[in-house]
Amino acid sequence: GKGAGQRRRQAALTVGKDRRESVVRAKRLRRADPAEQWDGDAMHIVTDGADDEAAYKDLEDKTVAAVLNLKDLAKENTAKRIEALQILRRLLSCSAYPPVHVAVQAGVVPLLVDCLGLDATEDQLLEAAWCLTNIASGDPEQTRAVKPALPLLIIRLGENTPAQVVEQCAWAIGNVAGEAEDLRDCLFQLGALSALARNLSSPIITLARTAAWALSNLIKGPNPRAVLELMEMDGIIDILGRLVSNGDDELVVEVAWVLVYVTSMSDVHCSQIIHAGLLAPLVARLTHCRRHHPLMIPILRCIGNIVASDNSKCDDVLLAGQSLPGGIIGALARILETGQRTLQKEAAWVVSNLAAGSISHKVAVFKGGVVPPLLHLLATSAFDVRKEAAYALGNLCVAPREQGAEGKPILEHLTVLVDRGCLMGFIALVKSPDLEAAKLGLQFLELVMRALPNGKGPKLVEKEDGIAAMEELQFHDNEELRIMSNILVDQYFGEDYGFEEELESGDMRTEDDSEYPPWRRGGLAG
Amino acid sequence: MQYTQETVKTLSQCFLQTLATDSEPRKQAENFLKQAADQAGYGMVIMQIVCEPSVEEEVRQAAAVNFKNHIKFRWATPDSDVSSSVISIQDPEKEQIKGAIVKVMLSTPPKIQSQISEALAIMSQHDFPRKWQTLLPELVSSLSSATDYTTINGILQTANSIFKLFRYKFKSNELYIDLKYCLDGFCVPLLEIFQKTGLIVAANTAAPAILKPALICQRLCCRIFYSLNFQELPEFFEEHIADWMGEFHKYLTYTNPLLAENDPEKTSVVDDLKAAVCENINLYMEKNEEEFQAYLSQFATDVWGLLMTVSLNPGQDRLATTAIKFLTTVSKSVHHKLFADLATLTQICESIVIPNVRIREEDEELFEMNHVEYIRRDMEGSDLDTRRRMACELVKGLSSHYREQVTGMFNGYIQSMLQQYAANPAQNWKAKDCAIYLVVSLAPKQASSGAAGTDLVNFEQFFSSQIVPELREKDVNSNSLLKADALKFLTTFRTQVPKHLTLELMPQLIGFLVAESNVVHSYAALAIEKLLAIKDGKQTRYTSACLTPYLQPLFANLFGALKLPESQENAYVMRCIMRVLSIADIGPFAVQCLGELTKILAEVCKNPSNPSFNHYLFEAVAALLRNACEKDPGQVATFENLLFPVFQTVLENDVTEFAPYVFQIMAQLLETRRPPIPPTYLHIFPALLTPLLWQRQANVPGLVRLLQAYLQKAPQEINQGNQLTQVLGVFGKLVGSKNSDHQGFFILNTVVENLSFEALSPYMPEIWNVLFTRLQFRSTVKFTKSLIIFASLFGVKHGPQRVIETINSVQPELFTTILDKIWIPNLTFISGDIETKLCSVFATMLVAPLFQSSKEMLVGKLMNSVMTLLVKPEEERVEEDKDVPDMDEVAGYVAVYAQLHNAAKKEDDPLKDIKDPKEFVAKTLAGVSQQYRNLSAILQQGLEPANMTALGQFCGAYGVTLG
Repeated sequence: GKGAGQRRRQAALTVGKDRRESVVRAKRLRRADPAEQWDGDAMHIVTDGADDEAAYKDLEDKTVAAVLNLKDLAKENTAKRIEALQILRRLLSCSAYPPVHVAVQAGVVPLLVDCLGLDATEDQLLEAAWCLTNIASGDPEQTRAVKPALPLLIIRLGENTPAQVVEQCAWAIGNVAGEAEDLRDCLFQLGALSALARNLSSPIITLARTAAWALSNLIKGPNPRAVLELMEMDGIIDILGRLVSNGDDELVVEVAWVLVYVTSMSDVHCSQIIHAGLLAPLVARLTHCRRHHPLMIPILRCIGNIVASDNSKCDDVLLAGQSLPGGIIGALARILETGQRTLQKEAAWVVSNLAAGSISHKVAVFKGGVVPPLLHLLATSAFDVRKEAAYALGNLCVAPREQGAEGKPILEHLTVLVDRGCLMGFIALVKSPDLEAAKLGLQFLELVMRALPNGKGPKLVEKEDGIAAMEELQFHDNEELRIMSNILVDQYFGEDYGFEEELESGDMRTEDDSEYPPWRRGGLAG
Repeated sequence: MQYTQETVKTLSQCFLQTLATDSEPRKQAENFLKQAADQAGYGMVIMQIVCEPSVEEEVRQAAAVNFKNHIKFRWATPDSDVSSSVISIQDPEKEQIKGAIVKVMLSTPPKIQSQISEALAIMSQHDFPRKWQTLLPELVSSLSSATDYTTINGILQTANSIFKLFRYKFKSNELYIDLKYCLDGFCVPLLEIFQKTGLIVAANTAAPAILKPALICQRLCCRIFYSLNFQELPEFFEEHIADWMGEFHKYLTYTNPLLAENDPEKTSVVDDLKAAVCENINLYMEKNEEEFQAYLSQFATDVWGLLMTVSLNPGQDRLATTAIKFLTTVSKSVHHKLFADLATLTQICESIVIPNVRIREEDEELFEMNHVEYIRRDMEGSDLDTRRRMACELVKGLSSHYREQVTGMFNGYIQSMLQQYAANPAQNWKAKDCAIYLVVSLAPKQASSGAAGTDLVNFEQFFSSQIVPELREKDVNSNSLLKADALKFLTTFRTQVPKHLTLELMPQLIGFLVAESNVVHSYAALAIEKLLAIKDGKQTRYTSACLTPYLQPLFANLFGALKLPESQENAYVMRCIMRVLSIADIGPFAVQCLGELTKILAEVCKNPSNPSFNHYLFEAVAALLRNACEKDPGQVATFENLLFPVFQTVLENDVTEFAPYVFQIMAQLLETRRPPIPPTYLHIFPALLTPLLWQRQANVPGLVRLLQAYLQKAPQEINQGNQLTQVLGVFGKLVGSKNSDHQGFFILNTVVENLSFEALSPYMPEIWNVLFTRLQFRSTVKFTKSLIIFASLFGVKHGPQRVIETINSVQPELFTTILDKIWIPNLTFISGDIETKLCSVFATMLVAPLFQSSKEMLVGKLMNSVMTLLVKPEEERVEEDKDVPDMDEVAGYVAVYAQLHNAAKKEDDPLKDIKDPKEFVAKTLAGVSQQYRNLSAILQQGLEPANMTALGQFCGAYGVTLG
C-alpha cells in the first residue's frame, strides 16, 4: 500500500474533546487554601455540592453584597479594602461552582482591575488576582469578562512582584489562555508569553509549575508564531532542559505539554530540542509509566511528534532510549501492555511513526517486542486503538518509498504478521465506517495480495471473507475507497478471460493501462 | 435579463411548451431556453417565476426543474485555462441567488420545494461554507423563528443535505475547519429543536396529524446527528450525550398504533425514525464505544425487543436491517460478552437470524417476475441491505468470538431443516431453500480461486445428498427455486466438486439452459461459465477435449436460451457463449456460431440497450474469430463476408456504442490477414480518417489499433495513396493532448517501424516540430518518456546518425540540447521491459557518434543514466505520474472505451535480436573503447560509483574489457 509507510502528526485541529487534558487542565479553580485558618461562617454554610438551593441562593446574595461592599470601599484605605477583597475571594472559592456569574453581573471586574493598581500592596494584589483566577475559571462568558484585567496581570508577572502574587497572576492568565483562540491572541500581543516563560526558572516550584501550565495553554492552538517566539528567547532551551532533567513529575507534566506544542510545529524546533539533549531525560521518564499516568501522554506525544519528521530523528530517539530496558521500543511495548486504552493508543501511534522510518528502524521495531501486543490490540481492543495498531503493523510491512513510487513489501515482516492472523483485523477495518480505517485496511489487503508469493495472498484474503468486505465499499460515496475496492476486486478476483499470462508477457500491457489510476500504475507502459 | 412582465410572459410560454407532447414546439422551446440561459440574470428571473403565485402551477414546476438544471450545469466555475462552451453564472448573480434561495425554498409548495432544495444542495457543494457564509446563520435563524413543521422540516432537509459531505470525505485540515464551523453553528439549535419536538411528540399521542411531521423532524435531526458525528465525536455531543441517548431510547421504544401503515410495503414515520436512531447508535458503538458504554446495555435491550416484534413486511426491512446491524457491531466489539450466554446466542439465532433468512413471498415474487433483480441480490452481492444478508452478517459477527458454539448450532438448524424437507418435500421446500442459503452465505465469499470451503456441513455429503438430486431431476422446470439454489451452490463451491462429477452433471447443466425460469437458465449459464474458467495452476481444469462430446447440445441450448422470453439479451448466457468459444475446439460449429452471433448483432444494432450483453456479444465474436482463424487463417474471409455488412450498418447509422468494438474487431481481422490485403479494406480506409470519428474519445483506442493494423499490413499502399499526411495529421492531433498523446505515439511508432526511411524522411522535420513544440509548451513526464521511446525506436530502426541529422535539421545543434536537457535526465524513468531494453540499447548506440562529433563530454552522463536504468529496479527509479489530465476532455458524458480481451493485440519486440541489453552495453562500450582510448576515463568520471561497479560486473560477465 502506498499510504502505509507514512507518518502522521496528531491532527492540528480537533473537534473532539481534547483527551490529553481533563477539564481541570484547561482551566483551574483555586479552592480555599486548606492551610489557611479561617472560621468565618460562609465556609460552613455551603459545602461542595451546592445542591441545596437555598444555601446557594444565600451564597449568591452574599457575593453580590461583597461586591457592593468592595465598591463602596473603592476610595477607602487599604486595610478595609483588603478585608472586603478577602471576603469576596472566600465566597468565590468555597464551592466547586462558585457564584462568579453574579459577581460579574454586579460589576466586580472593574473593581478588581482597580485593586491591581500600581500602588497596591502584596495582599491586595494576591486577593484580587485570586478572585480573577476563579472568575476566569467559569463559563466562557465569565472568562471573557476578565479581559480588561489582562494588562495589569501581565505586568505583575515581572521580577519585582512577590512570587505568590506572580503565581496567582500566571494562574489567572492560564485560565484565560485555556479558553479560546482570540483570547490567546490578545495575551500574546500583550507580551504574556515572555513574561510567563521567564518564570519557568523560578526556584519556587509551584510558581514554575503554574507558569509552565499557563504557557502550555498559551501556545496550544496550534500557534506557530507563539512557539517561534518562545523558542527564540535567550536560554529557553537550557531552562526547559533543566526542568525536564531535574523537575518533579508534576512539573515535568506541564513542561512536557509545552514541548508537545513546540514539537508539533516544526522540524527545526524538534532538532533544537534534540541537540539540547532533552530527549534522554524525557524518555527516561517513560519507566514511570505505572506510577504517574498523566506524564506518559505528553511524553509519548513529544516522541511521536519528533519521530514524525525525518529518519535521523528516529535514530536520536532510539539512542536516547538506550538506557531503558529493551530500549525505547521495549518501553513502548510495556505501555502497549498496560491495559490503559488512552496510553495504548498514544504508544501505538508513536510505534507507527517509528515503523515508518528506514528499513533498519522497521527491523528494530519489529524485533523490539511490540508485535505481540500490537497484534493482540488489533484483534481485541476498541476501535481507535485498533486503528493505531493497524497503522503500526502496516508500516512494518512496507519498505520506505523513494520518489513517490509504491512501497515495496517487506516480505519477512508481512509473512510473520499474516501467519499470526493479522489479516482478520485488517479486514474488520475495511468494514469499519471510519474512512481512514477502511482505506488502511484496503491498502493492507492490496499489499498482501500483491506481495505474498505463489498467489497465496488472494487465497488468504478470500478465506478470511475479504472479498465480501471489499465489495461493501464498491458503492461507497467516497470516491477513492470506491475506486480502490473495485480495482482490487477486479484485479484479483475479477472476470477471468483466461488470457492473462499472454497479456502480461514482457510487462507490455495493452492500451487499457492508461485507464489505470495513478496509484496502481508504476509508470507508463506501452 | 430583467424581470419584466414581458419576460415572464415569454418564458412562461416557453415552459408550457416544454411540456408539449409534440416534439417540434418542444424542441423549439428548449432551444430558446438554452439560449436565454446564456444571458446574465436568467437564473434570478427563473427563480422569480418559480415564486410568482399568479403563474400557473405547472409552469412554476417546470421552471423549478429548469432552475435546478441551470444551477447544476452553470454554477461551477470552470478552470480558467480551459475553454468551455457553457457560460457559467457570474458572481454578482450568484450572490443574488444565494441571498434569495432559502426564502424561496421555504415559501414554495412541496413539489417545487424539492427542486429548489436540490438546487441549493448543488450550490452548497461548491460554495458552502467558505463562499457562502450567510447560509448557516440564515438556516439557524429561520429555524429558531419557524413554528410550523413544513418550514422546520424544509430547513432540516436542507441542513441534512449540506452536511452529508462529512460522511464521505477523508479527514483534512480543510474539512475539519468546515466541520468545526458547522458544529459551532448548528449543534445547539439542533439539540434544541430535537428536545422541543420531543415534548410535542410526548404531548400529542392521540393526534397523528401533529405527530407525523414531528417524527419526520426527529428523523431529520437524527440524520444530521449522523453526519456531524461521522468523522469523530465532537465535544458538544460528548457533553450532551445523555440528552441525545435519552431521546434515542424514547424513540426506540415508542409505539403508537395510530401511526401504523396499512400498506405492508410502506414504512411508517416511526419506523423510519427508529432506523435512523439505530444508525446513530451503531455509529457510536463502532467508533465511540468508550463514551457509549454507559448506554449500551439499555440499547441492546431496546434493539433486542424491537427485533422480537418487528414484522416481515417489506415496510420494516430498513428497520430490521439497521437493528440487526447494531447487534452485529456489538457482537464483534469488546463488549461481545453481552451475548456470551448460550441461551442468549440461541435466542438470537432462532428468533432473529432464522426468521430473517427464510425466503419470503416477496422474494418468490421477485424470482418469478423480476429475475434480473433477484439475481443481482442473490448472486451479485447487491444484497448489502437485505435482511438475509444482514442476518448472515450477524452470524459471522457472533462467530468471531463464539465460532464453535455458533457453528454447532447452525449445523443443527440445517439438519433439522433438511429433515423437515424430507418429511414433506412439496410443502416444506422452503426449509431446504433456507438450508442451502445458509451454507452458501455463511461460507466466505468465493472467487475463482475457490480457496474457501464450508465448515458448517460435511461438504461431500451435503453435495451428494442435497444438491446432486436436484440437478439430476428430469424435469428442469420443477421447483425452480430449489434448482436455482442447487446451481448457485455448485457455482459457489465449484472448485471442490471433483472433475469427473462435474462432467457427469454436464448434460443436466446443459438441460437447465433452456429451463423456463429465467433465474434457472441464467444460473445454469453462469455455472458452466465459471466451471470452464477454473484454473489449476496455469491450465484450465476443463479442456477443449472435455467439452467436445457436449458441444452440439451445448450450442443448441445456449442459443436456444437466447430465444426464451425476457432472455433475448441475457448477459449470463452470452458470457457463457464467449467462454465456450474461447476454450472449445469448435471446428464444424464455427460457421453456425458465427451465423447466430451475426444475426443477434444485427438485431441489437437497432437499439443497443444492454451494455453488458453487448460487450459479451462482441467478446464472443472476437473469441470465435481468434479461435477459428488461429487454426485456419483461411476462414477470415468468411468472417469478413458475414461481419462487414453489420459493421457497415453500425458505422453508417452511427451506432456510437458499438463503433469502438467494431474498430477492434476490424483490426483483429486485418491482423489475421497476410498481405496483400483485400481491396475492401482499402476502400474503407479514407473514411476512418474523418475527424468526426476521432472526436469521440471512446473511438480513439480502437481506431488507433485499426490504424496500426493498416500500417503494418499495407504500408506501401498507404504511402502510395498519399495518405501518410492524413495519418500523421491524426498523430499530430492526438499528441497535442495530454490524455491521448500515448495513442499518437502508438501510430507514430508503427509508421516508423513499417516504412522505409526514404518514405519517411520528407515528413521527419514536421514530426520533430510537432513533438518539440509540445515538449516546449506542455510537457509532462508521460510525454517525455514516450518521446524518448519513439526516438530510440526510430534510432534502432534507421540508425543513430539519422536521429541526429533529422533533429538537427529542425535547428542546428538541437540534438545535443535535447539529449542533454531532456533525454538523459528522463531516461531513468522509462518503465516496462521492452521499453527499458529499447532505450538503453539505443542510448548506448549513441556513444560512438558522440565521440565522432566531439560531444564526448555527454557520454559519462548518458551512460550513467543507462546504467541506472538497467541496474535499479523499476519501483525505485520511476516516478509516479503526477500529470494532470486535460479536464476539458474528460469532463461530461463520454461513452467509455471497453477493451475486448479476446481481441487483445500481441505486442512486438522491435529488438528481437538483442536478448540482453546488459551484454549489448558491455560489448558496445568495449568496442568503442578500442577506438577512443579515453572512454574508460570518461566513464570513471561520469558514472556514480555503484553504476561503475555494475558496469565492471557486466564486462566481467561477458568477458570484455574497457580499453
